[in-house]
Amino acid sequence: MTPVPYCSIFTALTPVLILVIGAFVALTLDIVRLRRSTMTVRNRTLGMVSILALLGAAVALTRQFGLPGPVTLLGQTLVVNHLTSLFNLVIVGLTILTIVISMEGDVGRHVGEYYATLLFGSIGMLLLVSTEELITIFVALELTSICLYILTAFHKGALRSQEAAVKYFMFGAISSAFLLFGLSYVYGITGTTNIREIAAQTTSSTLLSVGLLFTVVGFGFKVAVVPFHLWAPDAYEGAPTPVAAFIATGSKVASFFVLVKLLFIGFAGMQGTAFCYKFSSGWTMLLASTGAASMILGNVVAITQRNIKRLLAYSSIAHAGYVFIGFVAATEFGATSVLFYVIVYALTNLGAFGVLAALANRAGGDDMEHFAGMARRAPFLSVLMLIFFLSLAGIPPLGGFFGKFYLFAAAVQSESTKFGLLWLVILGIAMSAVSLYYYLIVLKHFYIIDGKDKSRIQTPVYLNTALAAVAVAVVLLGLFPEQVLALLKGLVAQL
Amino acid sequence: MEHLDHLAKQQWLIPLLPLVAAGIQSLLPRGKRKLSAGICLLAMGGACALALRAFFATLGHHGDEPVRAVWNFTWFAFGNTSLDMGFILDPLTAGMAAMVSFVGFWIFVNATGYMHDDENFTRFFCFLSLFAAAMLGMVISNNLLLMFMCWELVGLCSYLLIGFWYFKPSAAAAMKKAFITTRVGDVGFFIGILLLYWKTGTLNLYTPDGTGALQQEAIAKLITEPYFWGLTVAGFIALMLFIGAMGKSAQFPLHVWLPDAMEGPTPVSALIHAATMVAAGVFMVGRMFPVFTASSADWVMDFVMWVGCITAVFSATIAVAQFDIKRVLAYSTCSQLGFMVMALGAGGLSAGQFHLLTHAFFKALLFLGSGCVIIGTHHEQDMRKMGGLKKYMPITFWCYFIGYLALSGFPLTAGFFSKDEVLLQTFYKNKLVWGLATFAAFLTAFYMTRQMYMVFAGMWRGGDHGRGHGHDDHGHGHHGGHEPHEVPWNMWLPIAVLSVFALLMGWLGTPWLKGNLFHHYVAPHEEAPHHSNLVLWLSIGVGLIGIFLGWLIYGRNTMVRATDADPLQAKLGGLFTALNRKWYVDEIYEATIIRLTMACGTLFRVFDKLVIDGVLHAIAGLTKALSQVCRWIGDELLINGGFDASCEGVRGSGSLLSKLQSGKVQNYFAFLSVGTIILVVVYFFKQ
Repeated sequence: MTPVPYCSIFTALTPVLILVIGAFVALTLDIVRLRRSTMTVRNRTLGMVSILALLGAAVALTRQFGLPGPVTLLGQTLVVNHLTSLFNLVIVGLTILTIVISMEGDVGRHVGEYYATLLFGSIGMLLLVSTEELITIFVALELTSICLYILTAFHKGALRSQEAAVKYFMFGAISSAFLLFGLSYVYGITGTTNIREIAAQTTSSTLLSVGLLFTVVGFGFKVAVVPFHLWAPDAYEGAPTPVAAFIATGSKVASFFVLVKLLFIGFAGMQGTAFCYKFSSGWTMLLASTGAASMILGNVVAITQRNIKRLLAYSSIAHAGYVFIGFVAATEFGATSVLFYVIVYALTNLGAFGVLAALANRAGGDDMEHFAGMARRAPFLSVLMLIFFLSLAGIPPLGGFFGKFYLFAAAVQSESTKFGLLWLVILGIAMSAVSLYYYLIVLKHFYIIDGKDKSRIQTPVYLNTALAAVAVAVVLLGLFPEQVLALLKGLVAQL
Repeated sequence: MEHLDHLAKQQWLIPLLPLVAAGIQSLLPRGKRKLSAGICLLAMGGACALALRAFFATLGHHGDEPVRAVWNFTWFAFGNTSLDMGFILDPLTAGMAAMVSFVGFWIFVNATGYMHDDENFTRFFCFLSLFAAAMLGMVISNNLLLMFMCWELVGLCSYLLIGFWYFKPSAAAAMKKAFITTRVGDVGFFIGILLLYWKTGTLNLYTPDGTGALQQEAIAKLITEPYFWGLTVAGFIALMLFIGAMGKSAQFPLHVWLPDAMEGPTPVSALIHAATMVAAGVFMVGRMFPVFTASSADWVMDFVMWVGCITAVFSATIAVAQFDIKRVLAYSTCSQLGFMVMALGAGGLSAGQFHLLTHAFFKALLFLGSGCVIIGTHHEQDMRKMGGLKKYMPITFWCYFIGYLALSGFPLTAGFFSKDEVLLQTFYKNKLVWGLATFAAFLTAFYMTRQMYMVFAGMWRGGDHGRGHGHDDHGHGHHGGHEPHEVPWNMWLPIAVLSVFALLMGWLGTPWLKGNLFHHYVAPHEEAPHHSNLVLWLSIGVGLIGIFLGWLIYGRNTMVRATDADPLQAKLGGLFTALNRKWYVDEIYEATIIRLTMACGTLFRVFDKLVIDGVLHAIAGLTKALSQVCRWIGDELLINGGFDASCEGVRGSGSLLSKLQSGKVQNYFAFLSVGTIILVVVYFFKQ
């Protein structure tokens, strides 16, 4: 093994180091200097500190693109290549936006802890993206999850928040057990925790299958697919809105990314088939069945929801189902389409949650009725909401359309003699049609139904700007999907 | 050439400016009139400057082929198929873009005066800017797809602007009529585009490597392949494209929408229904001219020429017997569009395009002038109730007079040269068409003279008809007396500027200055028809006879009262009524096509209600029921046990712990385990 130069190690590690320092600074600053300040000042100051740390990390991440080649540390514990740097950047971006949303909202009395936990959570995600080793995957996943449990409970006064956190935690703990159980089997059979070395072990045994099964179940929980989705609606509804946004976007991006690595590299030999004429055991079959169930249940149940956060939870379950279509394709294009979709989806969802967070406090709640006539009260944010929801529904030329389009295209292309995966695609398209119904119902409340309260809602300029930037990104992803896809394609090919 | 390539790459900036302006307008509050007008004028001015820069860059190139630069790029690709987009810079585009943005700018200026008191000022300018963007986009597109998108967009804007005063039933009806009629043509256009794409395999019109749909290679393929009705593929495509042009450019028998479109505000009539959009059909035929010329063996070109000819004569006859000032101009526009189409059909690309450009200037002038008249007379459109306006509105009169001369083909004005080109073109092609066209030219001079005398000569006849009687009812007419008055500067300045062009622009296309400049510019490879003194003198002659006859009938003794009968009515009798009722075309449509369509509609509605709705409602009901069931079983019953309902109760009575102990989390785990077990069973069952 060739020794890695120190400066490369440093470049690879700086982003995480900066975030650790930033988290501690936020924590200390709150205790030492800001105890007597007003909540607004504390919130804004610590938010700014966190954003600065994240921006520093972002700069450090861009430096990684200058590295001569992939950097591998301590076995495969930390692998830095252009794809991981890109996704780390995405996660840092999502965290920044989450903080921007938080700065306006109510995060309880423990402001320092809130931002520090948020930063620790993002550190877990960064590590999750840039590792190829099972134990690190587990540790990073736990770091992320525990931070999210804590964050969910941050509405100390609200019983819902507490209940959501406890449910989320219990459920998460059990599935972590599943995951660890599965990973331990994998290690037991192959004798290695390194993903690439697992792939090299060609022995396909029943025990390895058990390992695979339980790993998939564990991740099924993290990305909330049926039947492991039950925590999501409660957690989304109960958690403070910025935290819900973070759960729905940042953690999903990281989980999907590591799942791509795990399945496409580690379990490359065990994909099986999920064609309509031939089901054979393997992870495509598992993902096809859970994905199909998620698309159906997520979309159908979302129809009857009145609470928008809960509706978004079910919609995110459905979206996880769509993403699984890309996995089932099991080709390089499939992996690329998954990554493309995840980026688009995360941005769009974060935007939607952001608008909700900005408006919910003044609107008096986050049920649909509270947003009646919002287009007159907050016209600008309503336009943004329109963009986000239409993108979620997959209306061209927004990013969401091309995200779905590439997923479906990958599935059709992967077996194009008898179109074995067409059943999933047809299901996906039919369910997208169903989803349009409930997305439009929300928009109907924004635009058509008249509300009782007609007073204007003023939102801070920085928040509007940040959300507008997200909307612009969503539109641009729809206008120039080809360029982004080509970029991802190139990076995935090097993986 | 490099400079041109560079400019072609920047062509998209031209429509972008008005598009951005339209976007801003849509967000502006109603009250910001000044800001709104300022932004739009700035955007149009910018677009105009860019278009003129591109225009001047294309000048001064010599050679057999017209100068041309294109820039194509891939919009997005799926698999091996890619959707391209592209922009073009050639004489056709450059001239048209310069005209549209320039005339458009001055019409915008005029509109700030015309719409001054309208409460939906910003909405008006939003639509108008959007229209300008779409029109410019169509002009610069080097791509079938982009062209079609913009083509539809201009149609939409036309629809929105005709019905700008949608609360008037007549406007609402007119907007529908315009949209539906042009849509008939659009079907043909769409079929043509699809066929062209299918047969040539590319959406680009021109590419640098010669693979575009309009270039040698593709066209050669189109000619050799026979299609049906004895046409080649090229012929059939040309026919379909022309049907699209017939709808947009109001050619007989799809002309009926244009006169009704006058329900829109007058600047709209000037911009859309005189200068630009209606010329889009003519422009499109010009753009696709290689397909048309390739099909010269077929009867398509003759068909084009005859449709143009019939429209020119037919509409001119109707214009003779109209009383509404804008309707006369509307039929005149139909007629002039017929001239352009006729020229194209006779193979004269440059003649058709030249008439398009000059006509845009003097017809926009006339329409804006009529707008000034309408405002000046407090919303009067009936020419019988005008008269003597020369005294009250001298500036408007003189500008209008120049427009009148140009349209009548008075020697040395713009219309004279361009109409002469058209006549010359048809003279060598078909003597009968030429004869009819000359007759139409005579009628043009006659009805315009009639209009001039009725509106501007004699004495004011509108004093006693009561207020607020006019059509353009937007609250302007209720101040001041009944006396007509001159319009403010922002309304007369545009027509003054346009009248300069109406007077002088013809010299660009005169055969007397070292060959026809415009012809060399647009179509250097096309053989110019020989100059013919017979055509020239006859054209001058009929123009003058028309003017003389007009004077004879209307000028010698002008109308005194608004209720007087038209002197022509006595001479023509029943024919005049037929003309006044537009040859009963609307009535014929009403009795045949519309009634048939309505019958079909009723049939389909019954089918819809019984079958389609039934199925749809069944599906919707099932989905909703399923959703409820899933929610009860999956969510509320099994897992939450009515979380929402019990939440309040829990707050009061129990602690969180007791709730956990009540078994809910166990339910979670049960569900999770069942799910896992199912997966395990399925997995190993299949192995």
